[in-house]
Amino acid sequence: MASKFWTQGGSDTEEEETDIEDEIENGGAGETAAAAAGSRYLQTNASDSDDSDGQKRVVRSAKDKRFEEMASTVDQMKNAMKINDWVSLQESFDKINKQLEKVMRVTESDRVPNLYIKCLVMLEDFLAEALANKEAKKKMSSSNHKALNAMKQKLKKNNKQYEELINKYRENPESEEEKFEDENEDEDEDESGSELEDPSQIAAESSDEDDEGEDMDDDDADGAWEKKLSKKEKLMDREFKKDPSEITWDTVNKKFKEVVAARGRKGTGKFEQVEQLTFLTKVAKTPAQKLEILFSVISAQFDVNPGLSGHMPINVWKKCVQNMLVILDILVQYPNIVVDDRVEPDENETQKGADYDGTIRVWGNLVAFLERIDNEFFKSLQCIDPHTREYVERLRDEPLFLVLAQNVQEYLERIGDLKSAAKVALRRVELVYYKPQEVYDAMRKLAELSEDGETDGDETKVEETRGTSAFVVTPELVSRKPTFPENSRALMDILVTLIYKSGDERTKARAMLCDIYHHALFDEFSIARDLLLMSHLQDNIQHMDVSTQILFNRAMAQVGLCAFRVGLIAEGHGCLSELYSGGRVKELLAQGVSQSRYHEKTPEQERLERRRQMPYHMHINLELLEAVHLICAMLLEVPNMAANSLDAKRNVISKTFRRLLEVSERQPFTGPPDNVRDHVMAATRALCKGDFQKAFDVINSLDVWKLLRNRESVLEMLKAKIKEEALRTYLFTYCSSYDTLGLDQLTKMFDLSDAQIHSIVSKMLVNDELHASWDQPTRCIIFHDVEYSRFQALAFQLTEKLSILAESNERAVEARFGGGGLDLPLRRRDNQEYAPGTAGGGGGRWPDLSYNQGRQGSSGRAAYTGGGRPLALGQASRDRSGQSRGTGGYSGRAGSGMRGSQMDASARMVSLNRGVRG
Amino acid sequence: MANSMARSFLQVAATEEVASPLRVVQIEGLVILKIIKHCKEFSPALVTGQLLGLDVGSVLEVTNCFPFPIREEDEEIEADGANYQLEMMRCLREVNVDNNTVGWYQSTILGSYQTVELIETFMNYQENIRRCVCIIYDPSRSNQGVLALKALKLSDSFMELYRANNFTGEKLREKNLSWVDIFEEIPIQVSNSALISAFMTELESDTPVKQCDYDRLQLSTKPYMERNVEFLIECMDDLSMEQQKFQFYYRSLSRQQAQQQAWLQKRRTENMARKAAGEEPLPEEDPSNPIFKPIPEPSRLESFLVTNQIANYCNQINGVAGQNFNRLYLMKSLHDN
Repeated sequence: MASKFWTQGGSDTEEEETDIEDEIENGGAGETAAAAAGSRYLQTNASDSDDSDGQKRVVRSAKDKRFEEMASTVDQMKNAMKINDWVSLQESFDKINKQLEKVMRVTESDRVPNLYIKCLVMLEDFLAEALANKEAKKKMSSSNHKALNAMKQKLKKNNKQYEELINKYRENPESEEEKFEDENEDEDEDESGSELEDPSQIAAESSDEDDEGEDMDDDDADGAWEKKLSKKEKLMDREFKKDPSEITWDTVNKKFKEVVAARGRKGTGKFEQVEQLTFLTKVAKTPAQKLEILFSVISAQFDVNPGLSGHMPINVWKKCVQNMLVILDILVQYPNIVVDDRVEPDENETQKGADYDGTIRVWGNLVAFLERIDNEFFKSLQCIDPHTREYVERLRDEPLFLVLAQNVQEYLERIGDLKSAAKVALRRVELVYYKPQEVYDAMRKLAELSEDGETDGDETKVEETRGTSAFVVTPELVSRKPTFPENSRALMDILVTLIYKSGDERTKARAMLCDIYHHALFDEFSIARDLLLMSHLQDNIQHMDVSTQILFNRAMAQVGLCAFRVGLIAEGHGCLSELYSGGRVKELLAQGVSQSRYHEKTPEQERLERRRQMPYHMHINLELLEAVHLICAMLLEVPNMAANSLDAKRNVISKTFRRLLEVSERQPFTGPPDNVRDHVMAATRALCKGDFQKAFDVINSLDVWKLLRNRESVLEMLKAKIKEEALRTYLFTYCSSYDTLGLDQLTKMFDLSDAQIHSIVSKMLVNDELHASWDQPTRCIIFHDVEYSRFQALAFQLTEKLSILAESNERAVEARFGGGGLDLPLRRRDNQEYAPGTAGGGGGRWPDLSYNQGRQGSSGRAAYTGGGRPLALGQASRDRSGQSRGTGGYSGRAGSGMRGSQMDASARMVSLNRGVRG
Repeated sequence: MANSMARSFLQVAATEEVASPLRVVQIEGLVILKIIKHCKEFSPALVTGQLLGLDVGSVLEVTNCFPFPIREEDEEIEADGANYQLEMMRCLREVNVDNNTVGWYQSTILGSYQTVELIETFMNYQENIRRCVCIIYDPSRSNQGVLALKALKLSDSFMELYRANNFTGEKLREKNLSWVDIFEEIPIQVSNSALISAFMTELESDTPVKQCDYDRLQLSTKPYMERNVEFLIECMDDLSMEQQKFQFYYRSLSRQQAQQQAWLQKRRTENMARKAAGEEPLPEEDPSNPIFKPIPEPSRLESFLVTNQIANYCNQINGVAGQNFNRLYLMKSLHDN
């Protein structure tokens, strides 16, 4: 299609050298044609179909079908009008509206088909007629009359949207009619030939512009085009429909100022403005001017975005990226042009031509534009339904942005603006950090492919630019294809190093979190942990913005998963437990909105939350996360519960897990496990009995394991851990039933080697968890039955109280001497439900989380070591005091009772005494 | 017998210097016996009674006492109690006994008497009677073979503070009042008439070992220790509670200060702007603003009392533990022989 156009376009320029208008149009069309060709190629490549025509044909037939449907509805309406049947007319009207939607979807445009407008006009006329004819109205049946009135309302409302089009149609129904016929003919050979009525909408259809150019060839169509131009466009044309030499810097500048001034004014079409500005870029006289206008084009393109929550139309986005690349081309070509947004440049700065030696300052901010483009990309991914093709297509645009970011970064580095370069680098990092190597490779491949596709466009472009020598020509200096290192780690390292060197605080923190995430993704737990601890991010994450906090949560989740994969259960639990403590994982990871039963969110909050959501392809699988968290909790909690069986409420490692276990124990019948939770609970029940095989089988049957890359080794590790914990649980639970226990017996029971059992049991002995000793000659464990007297138990209890008191005293002192100690939770040790870093940190911003605020401080510090907290010291004493607590409770009550009665006694004396004196 | 006992107790008690003009509480032997009898009979329950006597110079003579009946919580019966007290006083006057109230006595368990209620009662008494004491008898301790009798009064500086109800840290520092200074212990002197002394000598048996000496050799002090530790644990909890209150206070205080700072900063910049515009600057204090409302500091009284109580328990444990060791060594040597 493009080539066909090119041959024609070429002949045009030869034949009518003077028709500058035509030429310009060709120029514009050519550029977009290149893009269109490229993108179309990209699409077909991507969809893995070698036959691009086939795809096209499908689209066309669907479109035709829709149009046919619409036409038949119009016929129906005509029939209904003839017999004055308003009821059926109303039905048809509803139908046609629905069909209109479909048609719009098929044509992927927001232009309304002419057929529809025609129908509207017809209806309007008929309605007016019907209303005027009062006699006929009286004669109508009641249902018909009602329908007439309803129709009147509907039509009025509906037609408002299309007022302009209707008026236009009314002005010259003939040409429209004629053209409509044309269109239908065109459609057979060209899918978008029908789209040349409204110039204000042309901008939206970048890929179709070439076809318009085609139609310009014959005078007839040209005339029709002229007629339909809006006033402004006409003016513009008149001005520039001159010899190229007559267009001066002044005229362009004047026009430019005029267009820019209209920005944001009521009645200024956004698309129109983009179109006008784009046109101006083509006639710009100096590179600087072109640059200035390009900046305005991009701003105008941002304006197209309907609102904060909606995203920019995708084709506009793509054009925007292209414009940015052109800007870079200019900047690279003329190194003396400086882009700056701090100083207000001279009015006539842009007049200085390409041969001017000194620096030319142009207002603009590359980084801000780039960030905005990235945000729009992000937003569009948020909005698009991830289960559609559209989403995948959108994801394909990622390399496009990466090219731009890479080029901008290179440029900034060249001019020495490292701070901005770091910002751009962060944007790149944020597109790469969550990708495992496989995904990264896929992206690289895609980038290479799309680059092949684009070479076509490049060639044609060069060819085309020859024609417009009178204006500023910008050759493509900046490479249009991204270069990726072999593996993503290398890329991350390059970018992150740059950021660490020259980024600001927030950039550095975010880059650090991405870095941590990426390390964790690649199973490098120790590096991720060291980075996390050395950066002290946990301490001050609560002071950062919500999106960074979400990133922190994501990094923590990933570190937790990583710890699990490499077999560090306690660490994994430490990282994940806080995410799960509030039951708001979705919210904390921004992977969906969780409904709270107790707290109604205001629409404002809801909107904010929706804007924070992560696009689907960045999600961390929640099921896997939950499975890992619960399994970690199970491995830690089951032996712990067995060790403290006398007093279950003390020394809780995972509250979430305990609660789930309680719920599952309350069930009268336990069915076969259904979801992740059920699986883990079933495994827990088996593990409590020391049945490791069953526990492992249940866990092994989970589906989520297929998401792991090194599934076999992880499951192997898991099995070993389960065995170990089963052994520990068994020893804790049944040690009181044994006097001695043979090593061989244990080996047989738990399928572990002698050495393993020996080491596990010895560890328990050393930690004072098990009161026993080894008898080496007989290979037995001899259990000691130790019981403490009440007095001893009380003494233990007292020491515990004292240590708590001492701790809080210490904190008070710390607070006095300027530590942030008071923010610490009151009982750090027992405190399993510290607020997650983000949640708490955002306390002010997320109002429903504010109750966590006091505890945040620790969440950071304690969070990490959560699993391997230095509990060992206090543990033994707590165990013992735990055992005797049952009896302690009684005496406590008795004591207070006595004190109470004494108080009564002394209180009574007062009144007595008064009695005396009185 | 009681005389010698009292002296040994006094030696312990007299370590504290009495600053007030009230130097000594002189108690009739009869009164002591009556108190002991009353308290011991109702032992687990706590009882109270009235002290009668004379205030002579620096000596407070307690010459008689009578117990209050134990009552249930009831308004009517309470009125009965008051009537009983009045009636009792009238009767005693008729038989020509001293009927000036000089204080009250009460029994306690393991010395857990330091409560706000006690202080309130004291304040009430002290309003009417300038010199009054509270005699505290601990039957459980007496089982160990000591006369656990204490005469207490509130220190003057504490009373002053209490009247002002101002137990902030600043005031306490100003007054230099620490937890030790709430109660003052007054030495007790037991006086008997010559006739009684003579009679007692007459009654004294020839054997050098008396009942209370046997009591002192009792080895099973474990329940006593346990109770003490239990109470101690309870005190620890109370103290933690108090500490939490303070932590909370400090936290809100620091938050308020931050808010105040922010407000001031804002006001100052505003004032700068106003000054630049030639307007009158706004005042830097805004009393109507809620962030300038001072947060009331929690009272330290409770924590002082708890500290006192803890010190009390610790002393008791120390004492008993020391004695126990002696006994055990004694037993050991006896055993060896």
